[in-house]
Amino acid sequence: MQKILIVEDDEKLRNELEIFLNHNGYQAESLKKFDCTIQDILQVHPDLLLLDINLPNADGEFICKEIRKQSEMPIIIITSRDNEIDELISINYGADHYVTKPFNIQILLAKIASILRRTNVEISNQDKIDCKEFILNISKSTIIKENREIELTKNELKILRYLVEQREKIVSREEIMERLWDTDSFIDDNTLSVNITRLRNKLEELGLKELLETKRGQGYMLKRGEN
Amino acid sequence: MNFKEFLKDKILFLILFLLGLLAIEIFLIPYPFANFIKIYIPVSLLFLVIISLMIEYFTKRKFYQNISQIMEELEEKYLITEIIKKPDFVEGKLFKIWLEEIDKSMYENVNRYKYLTQDYKDYIELWIHEIKTPIATSKMVIENNKNAVTKSIDEELDKIENYIEQALFYARSNTVEKDYYIKKVCLKEIVNESIKKNKNALMQEKIKIQLSDLEEIVNTDSKWIVFILNQILQNSCKYHKPEKDLTIEIFAKVGKENVTLSVKDNGVGMKNSEISRVFEKGFTGTNGRKSNKKSTGIGLYLCKKLCDKLGIGIEVDSVEEEGTEVRLVFPIGSYSNF
Repeated sequence: MQKILIVEDDEKLRNELEIFLNHNGYQAESLKKFDCTIQDILQVHPDLLLLDINLPNADGEFICKEIRKQSEMPIIIITSRDNEIDELISINYGADHYVTKPFNIQILLAKIASILRRTNVEISNQDKIDCKEFILNISKSTIIKENREIELTKNELKILRYLVEQREKIVSREEIMERLWDTDSFIDDNTLSVNITRLRNKLEELGLKELLETKRGQGYMLKRGEN
Repeated sequence: MNFKEFLKDKILFLILFLLGLLAIEIFLIPYPFANFIKIYIPVSLLFLVIISLMIEYFTKRKFYQNISQIMEELEEKYLITEIIKKPDFVEGKLFKIWLEEIDKSMYENVNRYKYLTQDYKDYIELWIHEIKTPIATSKMVIENNKNAVTKSIDEELDKIENYIEQALFYARSNTVEKDYYIKKVCLKEIVNESIKKNKNALMQEKIKIQLSDLEEIVNTDSKWIVFILNQILQNSCKYHKPEKDLTIEIFAKVGKENVTLSVKDNGVGMKNSEISRVFEKGFTGTNGRKSNKKSTGIGLYLCKKLCDKLGIGIEVDSVEEEGTEVRLVFPIGSYSNF
Protein backbone atom coordinates (compact mmCIF):
# COMPACT_ATOMS: atom_id res chain seq x y z
CA MET A 1 0.00 0.00 0.00
CA GLN A 2 1.33 3.40 -0.87
CA LYS A 3 1.98 5.92 1.82
CA ILE A 4 0.77 9.48 1.47
CA LEU A 5 1.85 12.14 3.94
CA ILE A 6 -0.44 15.11 4.53
CA VAL A 7 1.19 18.30 5.73
CA GLU A 8 -1.64 20.71 6.42
CA ASP A 9 -2.13 22.87 9.48
CA ASP A 10 -5.92 22.91 9.45
CA GLU A 11 -6.68 20.00 11.73
CA LYS A 12 -10.13 19.18 10.44
CA LEU A 13 -9.18 19.30 6.78
CA ARG A 14 -6.17 17.13 7.59
CA ASN A 15 -8.30 14.52 9.34
CA GLU A 16 -10.93 14.45 6.60
CA LEU A 17 -8.26 14.08 3.93
CA GLU A 18 -6.73 11.24 5.91
CA ILE A 19 -10.08 9.45 6.16
CA PHE A 20 -10.77 9.97 2.49
CA LEU A 21 -7.39 8.71 1.31
CA ASN A 22 -7.55 5.72 3.64
CA HIS A 23 -10.95 4.85 2.18
CA ASN A 24 -9.51 5.02 -1.28
CA GLY A 25 -6.79 2.49 -0.87
CA TYR A 26 -3.88 4.56 0.37
CA GLN A 27 -2.14 4.61 3.68
CA ALA A 28 -2.45 8.22 4.74
CA GLU A 29 -0.55 9.84 7.57
CA SER A 30 -0.28 13.42 8.66
CA LEU A 31 2.05 15.64 10.59
CA LYS A 32 0.59 17.15 13.74
CA LYS A 33 3.47 19.42 14.66
CA PHE A 34 5.28 21.81 12.41
CA ASP A 35 8.46 22.57 14.37
CA CYS A 36 10.87 20.65 12.20
CA THR A 37 8.67 19.84 9.26
CA ILE A 38 11.40 19.03 6.76
CA GLN A 39 13.10 16.44 8.98
CA ASP A 40 9.73 14.91 9.87
CA ILE A 41 8.77 14.57 6.23
CA LEU A 42 12.07 12.98 5.32
CA GLN A 43 11.78 10.62 8.24
CA VAL A 44 8.31 9.39 7.26
CA HIS A 45 9.51 9.11 3.68
CA PRO A 46 6.11 8.84 2.00
CA ASP A 47 5.45 7.77 -1.59
CA LEU A 48 3.71 11.08 -2.10
CA LEU A 49 3.50 14.33 -0.19
CA LEU A 50 0.46 16.60 0.02
CA LEU A 51 1.84 19.94 1.11
CA ASP A 52 -0.01 23.05 2.20
CA ILE A 53 1.68 26.33 1.31
CA ASN A 54 0.74 28.29 4.43
CA LEU A 55 2.25 26.55 7.40
CA PRO A 56 2.93 27.97 10.87
CA ASN A 57 6.71 27.83 10.99
CA ALA A 58 7.94 27.56 7.45
CA ASP A 59 6.59 28.43 4.10
CA GLY A 60 5.56 25.52 1.89
CA GLU A 61 7.60 26.68 -1.04
CA PHE A 62 10.73 26.67 1.09
CA ILE A 63 9.94 23.17 2.38
CA CYS A 64 9.38 22.01 -1.17
CA LYS A 65 12.77 23.36 -2.24
CA GLU A 66 14.57 21.83 0.72
CA ILE A 67 12.99 18.41 0.22
CA ARG A 68 13.91 18.41 -3.43
CA LYS A 69 17.56 18.76 -2.44
CA GLN A 70 17.37 15.42 -0.65
CA SER A 71 14.52 13.44 -2.12
CA GLU A 72 12.67 12.83 -5.35
CA MET A 73 9.33 12.06 -3.67
CA PRO A 74 6.33 13.40 -5.65
CA ILE A 75 4.89 16.56 -4.13
CA ILE A 76 1.42 17.98 -4.64
CA ILE A 77 1.00 21.48 -3.32
CA ILE A 78 -2.34 22.57 -1.85
CA THR A 79 -2.96 26.27 -1.61
CA SER A 80 -5.70 28.84 -1.39
CA ARG A 81 -3.78 31.33 -3.51
CA ASP A 82 -4.82 30.93 -7.05
CA ASN A 83 -2.74 32.91 -9.43
CA GLU A 84 -0.49 31.53 -12.08
CA ILE A 85 2.63 33.14 -10.66
CA ASP A 86 2.31 31.14 -7.42
CA GLU A 87 1.77 28.02 -9.47
CA LEU A 88 4.88 28.75 -11.49
CA ILE A 89 6.96 29.36 -8.36
CA SER A 90 5.79 26.09 -6.83
CA ILE A 91 6.56 24.12 -9.95
CA ASN A 92 9.97 25.79 -10.13
CA TYR A 93 10.66 24.70 -6.58
CA GLY A 94 10.08 21.14 -7.67
CA ALA A 95 6.42 20.45 -6.96
CA ASP A 96 4.80 17.94 -9.32
CA HIS A 97 1.35 19.39 -9.17
CA TYR A 98 -0.57 22.29 -7.72
CA VAL A 99 -4.19 22.31 -6.56
CA THR A 100 -6.14 25.25 -5.24
CA LYS A 101 -8.66 25.11 -2.41
CA PRO A 102 -11.47 24.23 -2.50
CA PHE A 103 -10.35 21.37 -4.66
CA ASN A 104 -12.36 18.79 -6.50
CA ILE A 105 -11.47 15.73 -4.49
CA GLN A 106 -12.05 13.25 -7.31
CA ILE A 107 -9.68 15.16 -9.53
CA LEU A 108 -7.12 15.26 -6.74
CA LEU A 109 -7.50 11.51 -6.35
CA ALA A 110 -7.02 10.97 -10.08
CA LYS A 111 -3.96 13.22 -10.00
CA ILE A 112 -2.47 11.29 -7.08
CA ALA A 113 -3.06 8.02 -8.91
CA SER A 114 -1.50 9.26 -12.11
CA ILE A 115 1.57 10.71 -10.39
CA LEU A 116 2.07 7.52 -8.39
CA ARG A 117 1.66 5.43 -11.51
CA ARG A 118 4.40 7.40 -13.19
CA THR A 119 6.79 7.23 -10.27
CA ASN A 120 6.06 3.70 -9.18
CA VAL A 121 6.60 0.75 -11.45
CA GLU A 122 4.53 -1.65 -9.37
CA ILE A 123 1.36 0.19 -10.10
CA SER A 124 2.00 0.52 -13.81
CA ASN A 125 1.31 -3.21 -14.06
CA GLN A 126 -2.22 -2.24 -13.09
CA ASP A 127 -2.88 -1.76 -16.79
CA LYS A 128 -4.85 -4.98 -16.62
CA ILE A 129 -7.39 -5.56 -13.92
CA ASP A 130 -8.27 -9.19 -13.30
CA CYS A 131 -11.93 -9.32 -12.39
CA LYS A 132 -12.18 -13.14 -12.23
CA GLU A 133 -14.91 -13.44 -14.84
CA PHE A 134 -13.03 -11.23 -17.27
CA ILE A 135 -9.91 -9.16 -17.57
CA LEU A 136 -10.14 -5.43 -18.11
CA ASN A 137 -7.25 -4.15 -20.19
CA ILE A 138 -7.09 -0.45 -19.51
CA SER A 139 -4.27 0.56 -21.82
CA LYS A 140 -5.86 -1.23 -24.79
CA SER A 141 -9.43 -0.41 -23.72
CA THR A 142 -10.72 -3.99 -24.10
CA ILE A 143 -12.38 -6.71 -22.08
CA ILE A 144 -10.92 -10.18 -22.40
CA LYS A 145 -12.43 -13.55 -21.59
CA GLU A 146 -10.83 -16.82 -22.62
CA ASN A 147 -9.04 -15.50 -25.71
CA ARG A 148 -11.97 -13.42 -26.81
CA GLU A 149 -11.36 -9.71 -26.76
CA ILE A 150 -13.95 -6.98 -27.26
CA GLU A 151 -13.13 -3.33 -27.66
CA LEU A 152 -14.70 -0.72 -25.44
CA THR A 153 -15.21 2.93 -26.21
CA LYS A 154 -13.59 5.51 -23.95
CA ASN A 155 -16.78 6.08 -21.97
CA GLU A 156 -17.64 2.40 -21.69
CA LEU A 157 -14.18 1.75 -20.30
CA LYS A 158 -14.54 4.49 -17.71
CA ILE A 159 -17.97 3.22 -16.64
CA LEU A 160 -16.89 -0.41 -16.40
CA ARG A 161 -13.75 0.53 -14.52
CA TYR A 162 -15.76 2.46 -11.99
CA LEU A 163 -18.22 -0.41 -11.59
CA VAL A 164 -15.31 -2.81 -11.08
CA GLU A 165 -13.82 -0.55 -8.41
CA GLN A 166 -17.20 -0.38 -6.66
CA ARG A 167 -17.98 -4.05 -7.21
CA GLU A 168 -21.02 -5.47 -5.44
CA LYS A 169 -22.09 -2.00 -4.43
CA ILE A 170 -24.98 -0.13 -5.95
CA VAL A 171 -23.70 2.74 -7.97
CA SER A 172 -26.16 5.49 -8.83
CA ARG A 173 -26.40 7.00 -12.28
CA GLU A 174 -25.33 10.32 -10.82
CA GLU A 175 -22.16 8.85 -9.35
CA ILE A 176 -21.25 7.36 -12.72
CA MET A 177 -21.94 10.62 -14.46
CA GLU A 178 -19.91 12.56 -11.93
CA ARG A 179 -17.03 10.20 -12.41
CA LEU A 180 -17.19 10.67 -16.18
CA TRP A 181 -17.47 14.45 -15.90
CA ASP A 182 -14.44 14.54 -13.65
CA THR A 183 -12.47 12.88 -16.42
CA ASP A 184 -13.62 15.27 -19.14
CA SER A 185 -16.45 13.16 -20.63
CA PHE A 186 -19.46 15.40 -20.27
CA ILE A 187 -22.19 12.89 -21.04
CA ASP A 188 -25.87 13.43 -20.38
CA ASP A 189 -28.50 11.12 -19.05
CA ASN A 190 -29.49 9.61 -22.40
CA THR A 191 -25.93 8.97 -23.45
CA LEU A 192 -25.33 7.20 -20.16
CA SER A 193 -28.28 4.86 -20.80
CA VAL A 194 -26.99 4.12 -24.28
CA ASN A 195 -23.50 3.43 -22.95
CA ILE A 196 -24.82 1.12 -20.24
CA THR A 197 -26.90 -0.84 -22.76
CA ARG A 198 -23.93 -1.24 -25.09
CA LEU A 199 -21.73 -2.27 -22.21
CA ARG A 200 -24.26 -4.87 -21.14
CA ASN A 201 -24.46 -6.20 -24.71
CA LYS A 202 -20.69 -6.47 -24.89
CA LEU A 203 -20.58 -8.35 -21.61
CA GLU A 204 -23.31 -10.68 -22.88
CA GLU A 205 -21.32 -11.28 -26.05
CA LEU A 206 -18.63 -12.71 -23.81
CA GLY A 207 -21.23 -14.89 -22.12
CA LEU A 208 -21.38 -12.72 -19.03
CA LYS A 209 -25.12 -12.45 -18.79
CA GLU A 210 -26.74 -10.63 -15.92
CA LEU A 211 -23.42 -9.55 -14.48
CA LEU A 212 -24.40 -5.91 -14.79
CA GLU A 213 -27.61 -5.56 -12.90
CA THR A 214 -30.01 -2.63 -12.96
CA LYS A 215 -31.38 -1.65 -9.57
CA ARG A 216 -34.52 0.25 -10.36
CA GLY A 217 -34.53 3.75 -9.04
CA GLN A 218 -31.13 3.27 -7.45
CA GLY A 219 -28.57 2.61 -10.15
CA TYR A 220 -26.41 -0.28 -11.27
CA MET A 221 -24.37 -3.00 -9.70
CA LEU A 222 -21.68 -5.27 -11.02
CA LYS A 223 -22.32 -8.61 -9.36
CA ARG A 224 -19.89 -11.39 -8.72
CA GLY A 225 -20.24 -14.44 -10.94
CA GLU A 226 -21.97 -17.56 -9.62
CA ASN A 227 -18.87 -19.72 -9.56
CA MET B 1 -7.93 86.92 -22.45
CA ASN B 2 -8.23 89.55 -25.17
CA PHE B 3 -7.42 93.24 -25.03
CA LYS B 4 -11.01 94.26 -24.40
CA GLU B 5 -11.28 92.01 -21.36
CA PHE B 6 -7.96 93.32 -20.12
CA LEU B 7 -9.15 96.97 -20.46
CA LYS B 8 -12.39 96.11 -18.69
CA ASP B 9 -10.29 94.84 -15.83
CA LYS B 10 -8.40 98.15 -15.75
CA ILE B 11 -11.46 100.38 -16.09
CA LEU B 12 -11.26 101.89 -12.61
CA PHE B 13 -7.62 102.80 -13.08
CA LEU B 14 -8.33 104.34 -16.51
CA ILE B 15 -11.25 106.44 -15.26
CA LEU B 16 -9.27 107.73 -12.28
CA PHE B 17 -6.32 108.44 -14.51
CA LEU B 18 -8.46 110.42 -16.98
CA LEU B 19 -10.06 112.29 -14.08
CA GLY B 20 -6.53 113.08 -12.85
CA LEU B 21 -5.59 114.45 -16.25
CA LEU B 22 -8.73 116.58 -16.22
CA ALA B 23 -7.85 117.89 -12.75
CA ILE B 24 -4.35 118.82 -13.93
CA GLU B 25 -5.82 120.67 -16.94
CA ILE B 26 -8.26 122.57 -14.68
CA PHE B 27 -5.44 123.30 -12.28
CA LEU B 28 -3.33 124.69 -15.13
CA ILE B 29 -6.05 127.02 -16.56
CA PRO B 30 -5.24 130.11 -14.46
CA TYR B 31 -1.51 129.90 -15.31
CA PRO B 32 -0.13 131.60 -18.42
CA PHE B 33 1.72 128.54 -19.79
CA ALA B 34 2.03 128.00 -23.50
CA ASN B 35 -0.69 125.87 -24.94
CA PHE B 36 2.07 123.52 -26.07
CA ILE B 37 2.89 122.64 -22.47
CA LYS B 38 -0.77 122.32 -21.55
CA ILE B 39 -1.12 119.64 -24.24
CA TYR B 40 2.33 118.06 -23.78
CA ILE B 41 1.82 117.07 -20.14
CA PRO B 42 -1.41 115.01 -20.54
CA VAL B 43 -0.31 113.47 -23.86
CA SER B 44 3.03 112.32 -22.55
CA LEU B 45 1.42 110.93 -19.38
CA LEU B 46 -1.21 109.12 -21.42
CA PHE B 47 1.52 107.76 -23.68
CA LEU B 48 3.48 106.38 -20.72
CA VAL B 49 0.36 104.80 -19.25
CA ILE B 50 -0.55 103.17 -22.57
CA ILE B 51 2.96 101.73 -22.92
CA SER B 52 2.94 100.33 -19.40
CA LEU B 53 -0.54 98.85 -19.97
CA MET B 54 0.63 97.28 -23.24
CA ILE B 55 3.65 95.70 -21.56
CA GLU B 56 1.46 94.34 -18.78
CA TYR B 57 -1.06 93.03 -21.31
CA PHE B 58 1.53 91.19 -23.36
CA THR B 59 3.30 89.57 -20.40
CA LYS B 60 0.01 88.37 -18.99
CA ARG B 61 -1.28 87.24 -22.35
CA LYS B 62 1.83 85.17 -22.95
CA PHE B 63 1.47 83.51 -19.57
CA TYR B 64 -2.25 82.79 -19.85
CA GLN B 65 -1.98 81.54 -23.41
CA ASN B 66 0.77 79.19 -22.33
CA ILE B 67 -1.51 77.84 -19.59
CA SER B 68 -4.57 77.43 -21.75
CA GLN B 69 -2.57 75.68 -24.44
CA ILE B 70 -1.06 73.22 -21.97
CA MET B 71 -4.50 72.76 -20.43
CA GLU B 72 -5.88 71.65 -23.76
CA GLU B 73 -3.06 69.23 -24.51
CA LEU B 74 -2.66 67.82 -21.04
CA GLU B 75 -4.68 64.74 -20.20
CA GLU B 76 -4.12 64.82 -16.45
CA LYS B 77 -4.84 68.48 -15.93
CA TYR B 78 -3.83 68.53 -12.29
CA LEU B 79 -0.19 68.17 -13.37
CA ILE B 80 -0.24 71.69 -14.80
CA THR B 81 1.70 73.27 -11.94
CA GLU B 82 4.65 71.06 -12.83
CA ILE B 83 4.71 72.25 -16.42
CA ILE B 84 3.95 75.98 -16.60
CA LYS B 85 6.79 78.52 -16.69
CA LYS B 86 7.34 80.62 -13.62
CA PRO B 87 5.28 83.81 -14.05
CA ASP B 88 7.09 87.15 -13.64
CA PHE B 89 4.22 89.17 -12.19
CA VAL B 90 3.01 89.17 -8.66
CA GLU B 91 -0.50 87.64 -8.98
CA GLY B 92 0.94 84.91 -11.18
CA LYS B 93 3.61 84.09 -8.66
CA LEU B 94 1.10 83.99 -5.83
CA PHE B 95 -1.28 81.80 -7.78
CA LYS B 96 1.45 79.37 -8.70
CA ILE B 97 2.39 78.99 -5.06
CA TRP B 98 -1.25 78.47 -4.11
CA LEU B 99 -1.85 76.01 -6.90
CA GLU B 100 1.13 73.99 -5.77
CA GLU B 101 -0.25 73.88 -2.28
CA ILE B 102 -3.69 72.89 -3.54
CA ASP B 103 -2.12 70.12 -5.61
CA LYS B 104 -0.16 68.88 -2.68
CA SER B 105 -3.19 68.64 -0.46
CA MET B 106 -5.13 66.96 -3.26
CA TYR B 107 -2.36 64.37 -3.72
CA GLU B 108 -2.42 63.68 -0.05
CA ASN B 109 -6.15 63.22 -0.12
CA VAL B 110 -6.07 61.00 -3.21
CA ASN B 111 -3.25 58.96 -1.77
CA ARG B 112 -5.20 58.44 1.41
CA TYR B 113 -8.07 56.99 -0.61
CA LYS B 114 -5.70 54.96 -2.73
CA TYR B 115 -4.25 53.52 0.42
CA LEU B 116 -7.70 52.84 1.86
CA THR B 117 -8.82 51.08 -1.34
CA GLN B 118 -5.65 49.03 -1.53
CA ASP B 119 -5.96 48.16 2.12
CA TYR B 120 -9.55 47.05 1.61
CA LYS B 121 -8.65 45.07 -1.49
CA ASP B 122 -5.82 43.33 0.36
CA TYR B 123 -8.19 42.49 3.17
CA ILE B 124 -10.80 41.09 0.77
CA GLU B 125 -8.19 38.92 -0.93
CA LEU B 126 -6.88 37.71 2.39
CA TRP B 127 -10.39 36.98 3.61
CA ILE B 128 -11.20 35.07 0.45
CA HIS B 129 -8.10 32.95 0.83
CA GLU B 130 -8.93 32.30 4.45
CA ILE B 131 -12.47 31.20 3.73
CA LYS B 132 -11.33 28.72 1.11
CA THR B 133 -9.94 26.41 3.77
CA PRO B 134 -13.24 25.95 5.64
CA ILE B 135 -15.00 25.44 2.29
CA ALA B 136 -12.43 22.83 1.30
CA THR B 137 -12.87 21.18 4.68
CA SER B 138 -16.67 21.16 4.38
CA LYS B 139 -16.35 19.59 0.95
CA MET B 140 -14.09 16.90 2.37
CA VAL B 141 -16.56 16.18 5.16
CA ILE B 142 -19.30 15.86 2.54
CA GLU B 143 -17.15 13.56 0.43
CA ASN B 144 -16.59 11.30 3.43
CA ASN B 145 -20.28 11.31 4.34
CA LYS B 146 -22.15 11.12 1.06
CA ASN B 147 -25.92 11.12 1.23
CA ALA B 148 -28.87 13.11 -0.06
CA VAL B 149 -28.54 15.76 2.64
CA THR B 150 -24.84 16.39 2.18
CA LYS B 151 -25.32 16.35 -1.57
CA SER B 152 -27.76 19.19 -1.21
CA ILE B 153 -25.36 21.08 1.08
CA ASP B 154 -22.66 20.47 -1.50
CA GLU B 155 -24.73 22.25 -4.13
CA GLU B 156 -25.17 25.23 -1.84
CA LEU B 157 -21.44 25.24 -1.12
CA ASP B 158 -20.87 25.45 -4.86
CA LYS B 159 -23.01 28.55 -4.95
CA ILE B 160 -21.08 30.07 -2.06
CA GLU B 161 -17.88 29.26 -3.87
CA ASN B 162 -19.12 31.00 -7.00
CA TYR B 163 -20.10 34.13 -5.11
CA ILE B 164 -16.73 34.19 -3.36
CA GLU B 165 -14.94 33.79 -6.64
CA GLN B 166 -16.96 36.66 -8.08
CA ALA B 167 -15.94 38.85 -5.14
CA LEU B 168 -12.29 37.92 -5.61
CA PHE B 169 -12.31 38.78 -9.28
CA TYR B 170 -14.25 41.96 -8.61
CA ALA B 171 -11.59 43.04 -6.14
CA ARG B 172 -8.91 42.25 -8.66
CA SER B 173 -10.65 43.66 -11.70
CA ASN B 174 -9.07 47.09 -11.41
CA THR B 175 -5.57 45.75 -11.22
CA VAL B 176 -5.70 42.94 -13.75
CA GLU B 177 -2.28 43.93 -15.04
CA LYS B 178 -0.67 42.96 -11.73
CA ASP B 179 -2.31 39.61 -11.61
CA TYR B 180 -2.13 37.95 -14.93
CA TYR B 181 0.24 35.52 -16.41
CA ILE B 182 -0.11 34.87 -20.08
CA LYS B 183 0.80 31.58 -21.64
CA LYS B 184 -0.32 29.32 -24.45
CA VAL B 185 -3.47 27.46 -23.48
CA CYS B 186 -5.63 25.03 -25.36
CA LEU B 187 -9.27 26.13 -25.40
CA LYS B 188 -10.29 22.56 -24.60
CA GLU B 189 -8.42 22.70 -21.30
CA ILE B 190 -10.11 25.88 -20.11
CA VAL B 191 -13.54 24.77 -21.28
CA ASN B 192 -13.18 21.39 -19.55
CA GLU B 193 -12.03 23.03 -16.36
CA SER B 194 -14.93 25.39 -16.19
CA ILE B 195 -17.47 22.67 -17.00
CA LYS B 196 -16.04 20.55 -14.22
CA LYS B 197 -16.24 23.48 -11.88
CA ASN B 198 -19.94 23.83 -12.60
CA LYS B 199 -20.54 20.09 -12.62
CA ASN B 200 -23.15 20.02 -9.90
CA ALA B 201 -25.27 22.81 -11.33
CA LEU B 202 -25.03 21.53 -14.90
CA MET B 203 -25.84 17.97 -13.92
CA GLN B 204 -28.72 19.02 -11.73
CA GLU B 205 -30.33 20.84 -14.64
CA LYS B 206 -29.72 17.74 -16.80
CA ILE B 207 -27.85 19.75 -19.35
CA LYS B 208 -26.56 18.26 -22.54
CA ILE B 209 -23.13 19.52 -23.46
CA GLN B 210 -21.75 19.44 -26.96
CA LEU B 211 -18.12 20.33 -27.47
CA SER B 212 -16.52 20.67 -30.88
CA ASP B 213 -13.42 22.14 -32.52
CA LEU B 214 -11.75 23.12 -29.29
CA GLU B 215 -8.19 22.21 -30.23
CA GLU B 216 -7.20 25.83 -30.86
CA ILE B 217 -4.44 27.38 -28.80
CA VAL B 218 -4.63 30.97 -27.61
CA ASN B 219 -2.33 33.23 -25.61
CA THR B 220 -4.08 34.23 -22.43
CA ASP B 221 -4.34 33.81 -18.69
CA SER B 222 -6.40 30.67 -18.20
CA LYS B 223 -7.57 31.57 -14.65
CA TRP B 224 -9.36 34.67 -15.88
CA ILE B 225 -10.91 32.91 -18.85
CA VAL B 226 -12.11 30.05 -16.67
CA PHE B 227 -13.75 32.62 -14.42
CA ILE B 228 -15.41 34.33 -17.40
CA LEU B 229 -16.63 30.98 -18.77
CA ASN B 230 -17.97 30.12 -15.32
CA GLN B 231 -20.12 33.23 -15.32
CA ILE B 232 -21.42 32.42 -18.81
CA LEU B 233 -22.19 28.80 -17.92
CA GLN B 234 -23.90 29.83 -14.71
CA ASN B 235 -26.08 32.19 -16.69
CA SER B 236 -27.01 29.38 -19.05
CA CYS B 237 -27.96 27.21 -16.08
CA LYS B 238 -29.98 30.00 -14.51
CA TYR B 239 -31.91 31.01 -17.61
CA HIS B 240 -32.85 27.71 -19.16
CA LYS B 241 -36.36 26.88 -20.26
CA PRO B 242 -37.81 24.43 -17.77
CA GLU B 243 -39.98 22.69 -20.37
CA LYS B 244 -37.10 22.07 -22.75
CA ASP B 245 -33.93 19.96 -22.46
CA LEU B 246 -31.12 22.43 -22.14
CA THR B 247 -28.25 22.05 -24.54
CA ILE B 248 -25.07 24.06 -24.35
CA GLU B 249 -22.86 24.02 -27.41
CA ILE B 250 -19.29 25.18 -27.03
CA PHE B 251 -17.18 25.54 -30.14
CA ALA B 252 -14.37 27.61 -31.61
CA LYS B 253 -13.96 29.22 -34.98
CA VAL B 254 -10.70 30.43 -36.42
CA GLY B 255 -10.74 33.74 -38.23
CA LYS B 256 -7.95 35.63 -39.95
CA GLU B 257 -6.85 37.58 -36.92
CA ASN B 258 -8.68 35.91 -34.10
CA VAL B 259 -10.14 32.77 -32.58
CA THR B 260 -13.76 32.94 -31.47
CA LEU B 261 -15.00 30.77 -28.66
CA SER B 262 -18.78 30.48 -28.60
CA VAL B 263 -21.02 29.29 -25.81
CA LYS B 264 -24.49 28.79 -27.18
CA ASP B 265 -27.51 27.65 -25.21
CA ASN B 266 -31.17 27.11 -25.99
CA GLY B 267 -32.46 28.90 -22.93
CA VAL B 268 -34.98 31.68 -22.52
CA GLY B 269 -32.96 34.27 -24.42
CA MET B 270 -33.35 38.00 -24.07
CA LYS B 271 -35.44 40.78 -25.50
CA ASN B 272 -33.73 42.53 -28.39
CA SER B 273 -33.83 45.83 -26.56
CA GLU B 274 -31.99 44.40 -23.57
CA ILE B 275 -29.05 42.79 -25.35
CA SER B 276 -27.03 45.98 -25.58
CA ARG B 277 -27.39 46.57 -21.87
CA VAL B 278 -26.31 43.18 -20.49
CA PHE B 279 -22.78 44.40 -19.74
CA GLU B 280 -24.03 47.30 -17.62
CA LYS B 281 -23.35 47.04 -13.94
CA GLY B 282 -26.46 46.08 -12.03
CA PHE B 283 -28.55 45.48 -15.13
CA THR B 284 -30.86 42.55 -14.49
CA GLY B 285 -33.35 42.66 -17.38
CA THR B 286 -36.81 41.15 -17.51
CA ASN B 287 -35.48 37.62 -16.96
CA GLY B 288 -33.35 38.60 -14.01
CA ARG B 289 -36.28 40.18 -12.23
CA LYS B 290 -38.41 37.06 -12.48
CA SER B 291 -39.09 35.65 -9.04
CA ASN B 292 -36.49 32.96 -8.45
CA LYS B 293 -33.53 34.03 -10.53
CA LYS B 294 -31.75 36.23 -8.02
CA SER B 295 -29.84 38.08 -10.68
CA THR B 296 -27.24 40.50 -9.36
CA GLY B 297 -26.27 42.16 -12.60
CA ILE B 298 -22.61 41.68 -11.76
CA GLY B 299 -21.58 38.56 -13.70
CA LEU B 300 -21.53 39.83 -17.26
CA TYR B 301 -20.45 43.31 -16.17
CA LEU B 302 -17.34 41.75 -14.64
CA CYS B 303 -16.82 39.57 -17.72
CA LYS B 304 -16.82 42.61 -19.95
CA LYS B 305 -14.49 44.53 -17.66
CA LEU B 306 -12.02 41.66 -17.46
CA CYS B 307 -12.21 41.01 -21.21
CA ASP B 308 -11.42 44.67 -21.89
CA LYS B 309 -8.41 44.49 -19.63
CA LEU B 310 -7.22 41.23 -21.18
CA GLY B 311 -7.67 42.53 -24.72
CA ILE B 312 -10.37 39.97 -25.52
CA GLY B 313 -13.60 40.79 -27.31
CA ILE B 314 -16.92 39.70 -25.83
CA GLU B 315 -20.19 39.68 -27.76
CA VAL B 316 -23.70 38.56 -26.97
CA ASP B 317 -26.37 37.47 -29.41
CA SER B 318 -29.78 36.37 -28.31
CA VAL B 319 -33.22 35.57 -29.60
CA GLU B 320 -36.03 35.65 -27.10
CA GLU B 321 -37.42 32.18 -26.34
CA GLU B 322 -34.68 30.61 -28.54
CA GLY B 323 -31.43 31.03 -26.70
CA THR B 324 -28.30 33.04 -26.16
CA GLU B 325 -24.84 32.90 -27.66
CA VAL B 326 -21.86 34.51 -25.95
CA ARG B 327 -18.66 34.81 -27.95
CA LEU B 328 -15.17 35.45 -26.69
CA VAL B 329 -12.84 36.75 -29.37
CA PHE B 330 -9.16 36.06 -28.78
CA PRO B 331 -6.72 37.95 -30.97
CA ILE B 332 -4.02 35.79 -32.54
CA GLY B 333 -0.38 36.78 -32.38
CA SER B 334 -0.97 40.28 -31.16
CA TYR B 335 -0.45 40.24 -27.46
CA SER B 336 1.73 43.30 -27.89
CA ASN B 337 -1.19 45.47 -26.90
CA PHE B 338 -1.37 44.17 -23.36
